[in-house]
Amino acid sequence: MKKRVGVFVCECGTNIAATVDTQQVAEYAKTLPGVVYATNYKYMCSDPGQELIRTAIKEQNLEQVVVASCSPRMHEKTFRNAVEGGGINGYMFEMVNIREQNSWVHHDRQEATKKAEDLVRMGVAKVLRNQPLKISTIPVTKRAMVIGGGIAGMQAALDIAEAGHRVILVEKEASIGGKMTQLDKTFPTMDCAA
Amino acid sequence: MVAVAQHPNIELITLAEVVKVTGYIGNFNVTIKKKAKYVDWDLCNGCGTCIDKCPTKKIKDEFDFGMGLRPAIHKLFPQAVPGKPYIDPLNCTKLTKDKCGICEKVCPTGAIRYNDVDQLVTEEVGAIVMATGYDSFNWQDAYGEYGYGKYPDVISGLEFERLVSAGGPTQGKILRPSDGKEPKHIAFIKCVGSRDDTKGKSYCSRACCMYTAKHAYQVKTKIEDSEAYVFYMDVRTAGKNYEEFYQRALNAGAKYIRGRVSKIYPRGDKLILKTEDTLMGMALEVEADMVVLATAMVPAAGAVQLAKTIGFSVDKDGFFQEAHPKLQPVETFTAGVYLAGTCQGPKDIPDTVAQASGAAVKVCGMFSKNELVTEAMVSEVDISKCSGCGLCVPICPYGAISLQEINERGGHGHGPFTRQIAEINSSLCQGCGACLPACRTTALNLKGFTNDQLVSEVDALCL
Repeated sequence: MKKRVGVFVCECGTNIAATVDTQQVAEYAKTLPGVVYATNYKYMCSDPGQELIRTAIKEQNLEQVVVASCSPRMHEKTFRNAVEGGGINGYMFEMVNIREQNSWVHHDRQEATKKAEDLVRMGVAKVLRNQPLKISTIPVTKRAMVIGGGIAGMQAALDIAEAGHRVILVEKEASIGGKMTQLDKTFPTMDCAA
Repeated sequence: MVAVAQHPNIELITLAEVVKVTGYIGNFNVTIKKKAKYVDWDLCNGCGTCIDKCPTKKIKDEFDFGMGLRPAIHKLFPQAVPGKPYIDPLNCTKLTKDKCGICEKVCPTGAIRYNDVDQLVTEEVGAIVMATGYDSFNWQDAYGEYGYGKYPDVISGLEFERLVSAGGPTQGKILRPSDGKEPKHIAFIKCVGSRDDTKGKSYCSRACCMYTAKHAYQVKTKIEDSEAYVFYMDVRTAGKNYEEFYQRALNAGAKYIRGRVSKIYPRGDKLILKTEDTLMGMALEVEADMVVLATAMVPAAGAVQLAKTIGFSVDKDGFFQEAHPKLQPVETFTAGVYLAGTCQGPKDIPDTVAQASGAAVKVCGMFSKNELVTEAMVSEVDISKCSGCGLCVPICPYGAISLQEINERGGHGHGPFTRQIAEINSSLCQGCGACLPACRTTALNLKGFTNDQLVSEVDALCL
């Protein structure tokens, strides 16, 4: 497999850029083995940011992508889609967290920038060993179970049922209604709870 | 409630609990224990003759927190849905002593079943919505300064709801539990168990400021010459029309005093509250006929165990953990399991309804597809390395690993033979990686997080 890594360093407005010198991190990334392209941008998750990734994949013939930004919990799917939009397998991508695990928890700009470089170096080392992965599909049983028959359970059950799906509502007491049935009038409208 | 019972797409299973869940998103198998009702609800027409005729009438009604009485065969409350009675087996003399049997004799449809037993049923579903709600914080165990529950006229907010409710034990008249007299001076104490690290929970329960304002308003409008004292730390009215409602309580004459109550003790038939007014900077002693505590919301009993049974996580307080506090408030980390209402954290009715509709939309969105995409980063087994030791099987929190027998051709002087290997169900595997450290032969690998990849990261950092 070809080793052509692109590194994209996000500033997240000032969330990252105030503590990490993102331009320096991008320049550093260019010196890493396998990296052929690196840049920084204000909001990598934005439409222009994603377009930057897609365009670079095509123009630079990138085979692997590293995005140094926030937690994968936040934007892993976003960037995986962007990478696929550029024409390579979405799993030829690594996300490096330089926000939650770096800029948000450090003050010293020099040290934080050095840590971001370390994290990017690790990400690049990993992505060079990534393999394209395939997703598979499973069937769906279009019937829902709601556990608990209070206000929340009744509302959820009614909404799903109204959409035309079967719902089983399981309640531990002998009646649905939950705590609501014990209430008198309810704020702020003072209408009855039943 | 009635709309739920009447909806042709909803099947109600009451007096039941979930005991086992297997499977995965789109394909769950849920085992439900239906508890014995001792009444055949298919035959019962809900006429209520059995309830009227039951001779065991003096059981403290749990629904009214023991402030009212009920018979052994009863409905949870008169407007229960479904509107059918069931027998409380601990108090029914037919079931405990084999005496009586009156309900069977008077039932016009022959629906009584003294030999009824718990039943297990299994249902196949594609999605699960958790809506197990909350319990009221057990203040009697924590607040000695409020009497540990030994003063009958110190009650919780939910007990006050029963007193003020038209369907409650006093038909909506606010009367003291101790002597049935109308209290004139009622004190309300907020944040009992909430925002109290030492005796309760660190969080705000969110609904108490508003229901206490409602209680104070009801006292002022229902009882002539009454006083409603509200002892508070802060007044939090962040909701549409909430601040206006609080002002309405103030305008009705509720007296808000900023301060914690440090002690309650009886003097004659009154209760004395030792407290302070922190805005005036002075100590206070207030006399009240009744005290109402705004107790914290805590997760429903058994919620943590249920989360374990189904296979998703809870937070430090035992509320169900959402996948992301802002962006995925109705999802869990387990695909196909969604959250609605106070099981996820304290909230009031408007927020509960909104979250429940959100969870419903997530379910409907999922049901709009015929097939679901599975996680690609799952564990895989290198069968040439797997020794079939089975150590990984009990470690998997999702039950995704099982042992399978495979046939080997043999060779090197051996004939064909069979051996065990671990097999991953890629639909169940969530890619958590818990199985990897258990594998002594490094036969297990997590796609996207292979040993080779992780070592290369460490090398990049350290070498």
